[in-house]
Amino acid sequence: MNIADLLTPERVRCIPEVSSKKRAIELLSDMLSADLPLLAEGEIFDALIARERLGSTGLGHGVAIPHGRLAGINEACAALLKLDQGVDYDAPDREPVDILFALIVPAQSTDEHLRILATLARMFSETDALAQLRSTTGTSALLKLFQGWEIAHD
Amino acid sequence: MDLTNHIILLGGLILLVSVLANVITARVGAPLLLVFLIIGMLLGEEGLGGIDFDNVQIAHLFASLALAIILFDGGMRTPVKNFRVGLKPALVLATVGVVITSAITGAFVAWWLQLGILEGLLLGAIVGSTDAAAVFSLLHSRGLELKQRVGATLEIESGSNDPMAIFLTILLIELLLSGAEHMGLMVLWQFVQQMGLGALLGIAGGFALLWLINRLELSAGLYPLLALAGALSIFGLVSVVNGSGFLAIYLVGLILGNRPLQFSHHISRFHDGIANLSQIGMFLMLGLLVTPSALLPVALDALLIGLVLILLARPLAVWLCLLPFHFPWREQVFIGWVGLRGAVPIILALFPLLAGLDVAASFFNIVFFVVLLSLLIQGWTVSLSARLLKLEVPPTSKEVQRVALDIPGQQELVLVGYRLTENTPVVRKKWSNFTLPKTVRVVAHLRDKRLLDTLDFFDLRPNDYLYLMAVPQDFAVLDSLFTQSLAPKRLSEQRFFGEFALNGKATLGELSLVYGLNMPPEQADQTLNEVIHAHLQTQPVVGDRLQIGGVELVVREMEGDQVTRVGLKLIRDDA
Repeated sequence: MNIADLLTPERVRCIPEVSSKKRAIELLSDMLSADLPLLAEGEIFDALIARERLGSTGLGHGVAIPHGRLAGINEACAALLKLDQGVDYDAPDREPVDILFALIVPAQSTDEHLRILATLARMFSETDALAQLRSTTGTSALLKLFQGWEIAHD
Repeated sequence: MDLTNHIILLGGLILLVSVLANVITARVGAPLLLVFLIIGMLLGEEGLGGIDFDNVQIAHLFASLALAIILFDGGMRTPVKNFRVGLKPALVLATVGVVITSAITGAFVAWWLQLGILEGLLLGAIVGSTDAAAVFSLLHSRGLELKQRVGATLEIESGSNDPMAIFLTILLIELLLSGAEHMGLMVLWQFVQQMGLGALLGIAGGFALLWLINRLELSAGLYPLLALAGALSIFGLVSVVNGSGFLAIYLVGLILGNRPLQFSHHISRFHDGIANLSQIGMFLMLGLLVTPSALLPVALDALLIGLVLILLARPLAVWLCLLPFHFPWREQVFIGWVGLRGAVPIILALFPLLAGLDVAASFFNIVFFVVLLSLLIQGWTVSLSARLLKLEVPPTSKEVQRVALDIPGQQELVLVGYRLTENTPVVRKKWSNFTLPKTVRVVAHLRDKRLLDTLDFFDLRPNDYLYLMAVPQDFAVLDSLFTQSLAPKRLSEQRFFGEFALNGKATLGELSLVYGLNMPPEQADQTLNEVIHAHLQTQPVVGDRLQIGGVELVVREMEGDQVTRVGLKLIRDDA
């Protein structure tokens, strides 16, 4: 399995900028909930925001991975938001964030959750991978790039 | 005339070589002190220099002076905030620890060399104190930093155990000279007198000197001299009235270094230099004093004594002393291993020579050998053992240019200078909208030796110089923006602290909602700060870890006793 399997073309967006961290998370929540009609409105947003309250999910180097567990879904899914202009995300290195990768997972799958997160964190901290990601534009090219990101197994 | 010039030339050259040796040892990782000792031995009667120096009286005078200055500087450099985690364990190590170490080593010496127990104990006491300066200079030269609990304990211990070793040595010599009938109460009284007077007069003198420095109006260059003169006067006075001058001068340094002080910047710069000079001078002189060929006959004895000290006495003493403090085992092992012996034992070995004891000459050579051994074995393995025991933390202090502005009645303002390189975070990543802390002002931006007219903050290039006005609380943020980390990859922030940073006030229950941790239900309402405190049973420091479920919590920032930020590390198979 690879990271691209978590995404769909509709859940990848490149836009110039957003006004705030909250707005970015709202956008990501909307992208995710479009494919999950069973969830109550705002449920994804609330879960992601609840996680941000514990501490920013900014990884540093301009990347953030907002994430959460939700009871009403069957499998992990993700959304990517790429910005031309970084947004202040309260990241540990204070660097503005221009790559946001939101991840939600079902309530019962914690191991998988942690594995996906670990893979994402590792890939997003590799200078080459990041540079490639930043220079890639277009939904299909981005999806193709993520196909190379295999999720580590036990 | 000619002789004078020759001596100056020789002295200058020796000093030059010693300072330059700094560059080499930093690369090789050899303890600097070892190099000075060896240079001294090379210059001595059997080496290239052929200088025949064996005046114990003069050696004792200069070595004591140098030691006093080094302790003064050490005190000024010990931040009182380190006391939070280090003071109590360090004080136990510096008193009880020295006695245990000396007793075990002494018992072995008496048995092995077939001496009286008092003579054995004397040798034990002589090698009883540690020297942390070597440890820290080694680690800092490689951009490494120790966990605060370990670093603070070692630092305070080594600053405060010299008076104890000195006291024991003098006491045992007196007992040996006068016969052993005054044991017991007399010893206790001596201890109380030495330490009590040292502490009392040191603290009183320290505050008096502080007051004097802050009151007087002198030219800037005289303040460091005033500080030195005052400190040495206190040292002399306390010693004259039979107190521990070494304890007193350490305390004076501690007070001057941790209280608002006029021209503190000048004073600390000056003392940094003068303490270095003292170190170099003292070790060169001690190297000169020894006769290398005389070391050979005692080599086997000294080797065994050294091994007992390093492998048995010190670790055992450390383990016993740290029992009440619940130090993690890795930290105990490290503190036990890094009981580096420095100049103090060699200086103390001069005492029996001055007193004219029979065993004095062989003691001096044995002690010299033990110190060499300790510097070689322990000194050379400091960074390695810190790494193996996982006691390093990502360094916070970096080499940057800082000039404190002395504005009377004003909170401390500092002019901070950065030279940007290609690897400076702001340059490398071409950031466009990073934010500076509100209290920071940009003062100047230089390119090609010219002051830029406009402060174009968003066009920072390599080799630019940037000068900012800031308060000390901002240093960490500024350093992270404008300096590149020299730390090895294993100490990069993400590797060390984990992927995410959490608030210390988040509860374990909230965390479990996101990560599904296995935890007892009664822990759900506990904050991460409380969980970490409960788990450690001792004061947390940055770098302490705790594993829960599939994640690891790492203490990332502290404010006083509270854990304010916690790193969340996902445990990975490839980690």
